[in-house]
Amino acid sequence: MLGRVEHMTFAYAGADRQALDDVTLEISAGEHIAVLGPSGSGKSTLLRALAGLVPHFHGGRFAGSVVVAGCDTRVTRPAELAGTVASVFQDPEDQVVMTRVVNEVAFGLENVGAEPRRIWARAAEALARVGADQLADRRLDELSGGELQRVCLASALALAPEMLLLDEPTSQLDLDGAREFLDVVAGLDVTVVLSEQRISRALSLAERVVFVDEGRILLDASREQAEAWLAEERPAYLEPPAPGLHRLRPDSDRMLQLRGVSFSYRAGSPILDGVDLELRAGEVVVLEGPNGAGKSTLARIATGLLEPAAGRVERTGRAAYLTQDPGRYLVKETALQEVAFGVGGDRARARAALDRFGLSAFGDRHPRDLSSGERERLGLAAVAVVEPGLLVLDEPTRGIDPERKAELRAWIAELAAAGVAVLVVTHDESFPAHRRLRLTWERGLDAV
Amino acid sequence: MTPVPATVVLASVTVLALTADRLTTLGVLAAVLLGVCLRAPAARRRPYLVGTLVAGVSIVVISPFLWSGGGTLLWEGPTVPVLGVLDVTTDELVQAGLSGLRLVCVGLAFAVYTLFVDHDRLVGAVRFGRRSALAAALATRLVPTLERDAAGIREAVRGRGIELEGARAYATLLSPLVAGSLERATNLSEAMEARGFGRQGATRAPQPPWSWLDRLAVCAGVVLATAGVLWL
Repeated sequence: MLGRVEHMTFAYAGADRQALDDVTLEISAGEHIAVLGPSGSGKSTLLRALAGLVPHFHGGRFAGSVVVAGCDTRVTRPAELAGTVASVFQDPEDQVVMTRVVNEVAFGLENVGAEPRRIWARAAEALARVGADQLADRRLDELSGGELQRVCLASALALAPEMLLLDEPTSQLDLDGAREFLDVVAGLDVTVVLSEQRISRALSLAERVVFVDEGRILLDASREQAEAWLAEERPAYLEPPAPGLHRLRPDSDRMLQLRGVSFSYRAGSPILDGVDLELRAGEVVVLEGPNGAGKSTLARIATGLLEPAAGRVERTGRAAYLTQDPGRYLVKETALQEVAFGVGGDRARARAALDRFGLSAFGDRHPRDLSSGERERLGLAAVAVVEPGLLVLDEPTRGIDPERKAELRAWIAELAAAGVAVLVVTHDESFPAHRRLRLTWERGLDAV
Repeated sequence: MTPVPATVVLASVTVLALTADRLTTLGVLAAVLLGVCLRAPAARRRPYLVGTLVAGVSIVVISPFLWSGGGTLLWEGPTVPVLGVLDVTTDELVQAGLSGLRLVCVGLAFAVYTLFVDHDRLVGAVRFGRRSALAAALATRLVPTLERDAAGIREAVRGRGIELEGARAYATLLSPLVAGSLERATNLSEAMEARGFGRQGATRAPQPPWSWLDRLAVCAGVVLATAGVLWL
């Protein structure tokens, strides 16, 4: 048995509820385990407990025991477990230390006291293992999110760990980056514990599934049993059909018109060249396309955050833009103030918006004290409260759990039915839409 | 050139810039450093060059009015409370040029250090205070992240239809920016601990030995600094 969690209960310092409640789990060498569950359910805490970061790094109240490779985490510090256990976290930018790729991979090896003469060779081997050997001499700040996360995986694998802990490692990646990352993980021959919100992919690479909710393990079963359980108990996790959208009225008002819009960040290389786009009231348009094709740029121009270098933009009514990872960009001291900020301090409207997103109990809480899922919903409430005529969302489903994804889709359908024009930049092929457009460098904007 | 000799040369250049009192010496130094900076990609060098040149020109423009010196009177203006008579003389212009060029040279030396020196290997080569060196390197690396977070916060607020006007409005964004960077710092320190940072018995990857060019650069750096102090 490589890892054993016995009757573990844990609460973060100052928290009013337990993050994990009487959790018992055994992990055998070589297993690939998918840990599923809603945001804030305790998945990350479970992985941190296996790495010894809970309780050593986070503090809090800890009961029970966690033993990994014979080391009791109550007496073994995380730094001492490094090499036996290796972790990759959600945001690659928050875990890289050095400036160049090969030095980054060597950093952990130096820390665990690897034989100096073997360090560069082991770093090169680890990079090759994740298909990133060509990145060895690149600067980290020049890499895409997907490349950066693969470097983080190489840094973990270089330590030759017995157990690899992956905490939603694709939550900040686009579809292609996530697919490449999980393909690499699928081929690994170490014990993997993977917390993931891309459920179908996680299920395909795991032979065992653990489902966590409100700090308790609700399911610990084989993949086949888990799929049957999910279909019964949590159908949102098996990608149910998206809600149908209302029928679009042919005479609905035009809310956005872009004519011949061009834009370039550098002289001589336009990212958008003569793009035309029109949105009508109540219409949901999904904008797809490869990375770097200018989807986010077009979304910003549509909302007025960027001015086009050429072409015409006409909008009717108020436009709002929901940025990627909105939970990171909250600015006020309480959730209520945050939402009221967009409507001149109107608390009644702010309370109604908080209520709409199930946050009425959190009005007085500091936004940064909320869980990641609650922060995401607060970001939505802060945009919804301004009652826009045109709403633009940039990758709104990235990194959110399936149940919240279903809620988001339902909310978009509700908004569209109320006459709001919605433009969604997404790689999510199942997002409901009246029209799907694809933006590419070569062909501009095409209907899918 | 390996990082330690490169840093020694840049430190010597900084000493030279601070001690030299001839416009030609400082001018040549600034031109050489600018030439080196221009070899970096445009997007990376731009903030350093703009910041340094704006600061240098500002010093040249403002300091003749704040400092009184001799020489030929070139212009005499009104009397301003506290500052006295505003005038510009030849000595004041020379002094302003020296101050401005010194600042430009120091700024450009820092830009060359940031743009070209391999901080990782410099940290690896440090024998004492490695943690402090690592902290300094991390702070340098996190500046672009901070810039991106600031842009993200501004965009998120504007995306909600809130237009920010004036310094006070922008100042309200400072607190979430600091909170966000603290959150990033916490995440980073957690990741570092998980990767064994601070553990007993750490080793170091071997660094390449110094070449004849490295040794020459260190000697040249020492000569340059000495010459700056004694003759230039």
